[in-house]
Amino acid sequence: MFLDTLENRLAQLARSGDRSAFGQLVDLYKDKIFHLAYRMTGSRQEAEDIVQETFMRVYANLDKYDSRWKFSTWIFRIGNNLCIDRLRKRRPTWSLDAENPDADGVDGYAMLPTNDASPEDRMVLSEMQKNIRDAIAQLPDKYRSVVVLRYLQDLSLNEIADILELPVSTVKTRLHRGRESLRRKLEHDSIL
Amino acid sequence: MDCKEACEYIHEYLDGMLDADREAQLGRHLAECSSCSDHLKALEKTEALVAGLRPIPCPEGMTERILQRIPEPRRPKGWVRWMRRHPGLSVAVVFVLIMAGSMLAQWNQGSMLVVKGNDLDGINISGNEVTVPAGVTVDGDLLVENGTLRVEGIVQGNVVVIDGSLQASTANISGKITKVNQAIDWVWYKIGEWLESLAR
Repeated sequence: MFLDTLENRLAQLARSGDRSAFGQLVDLYKDKIFHLAYRMTGSRQEAEDIVQETFMRVYANLDKYDSRWKFSTWIFRIGNNLCIDRLRKRRPTWSLDAENPDADGVDGYAMLPTNDASPEDRMVLSEMQKNIRDAIAQLPDKYRSVVVLRYLQDLSLNEIADILELPVSTVKTRLHRGRESLRRKLEHDSIL
Repeated sequence: MDCKEACEYIHEYLDGMLDADREAQLGRHLAECSSCSDHLKALEKTEALVAGLRPIPCPEGMTERILQRIPEPRRPKGWVRWMRRHPGLSVAVVFVLIMAGSMLAQWNQGSMLVVKGNDLDGINISGNEVTVPAGVTVDGDLLVENGTLRVEGIVQGNVVVIDGSLQASTANISGKITKVNQAIDWVWYKIGEWLESLAR
């Protein structure tokens, strides 16, 4: 509760032109938004763009921010919507498993943008982390949002429902299906 | 309980939303059903692995980059911000100002004689006296401002006299007769006129 009041106060200050207050808001949330965007898009570069764009939008809309809302809900909503937009622009309709008829025998996995020089890949445990990351990446966008917000941001189902502007029952369905899909993939990769 | 139901309960349990009663039911089923028991374990491991993904920190310098991109705070004047906060009220205020201004302009048109009508054939105007002579029929509405209207002929329509006088027998005028003399009357008349034009 205290944290929420802090953000509201910072947002109010930022609204009246206090740049340092806005900077503090950025510091509070940049890692979370980056993590969300990275897990959603699989690309470091896109995640960075999304972080910047998210804060640009927050700044532009401070006038309209109502301190009755939870700041975290608001900023996650903006961030998640930007991720979904990016994903939609990126791939039209084929799923990751389907082979792309134009690119002989190459399936969707190969077309996931790779992050060269990702610190993750250089680590010893990377094989396991890579499999988990791929398992998340192969989820349909709708399930991925819920899974990422739940497990990587530790949000409650109600908060997720607020962020995605969906009923809690829908969030639950997507979470359950997401779990099963992840389980199947990890079993398939002999991780479990 | 069958396995299908158990599966639903398992997910509710993982959500942290299974009530004590159902949890007990599930527990009994799991004790007897190894496939569901394995299913639960697999899901729990899945959760642990996913949640354990190491968060990637945001690259260095992100805050500075963002601050550079946001524009310098312009200090809008107090009333501009008031307008932003109360858009509806602002529109209303502007509307009232414009209406008042235009009404004032019309009111201040001086004391020129104004004659309005669709059919002004045969009407005599002399000084500020407007006459519909005997034998002449005006086909339509007639409005006279700042003058005297004398109707000896016939007016097939409404008559409005603003700031003037009317000399006529009501028999000669087939429509409504409206006299507007005071400032308040005039405002109501104008509002009525405007509303009527909306209805048309």
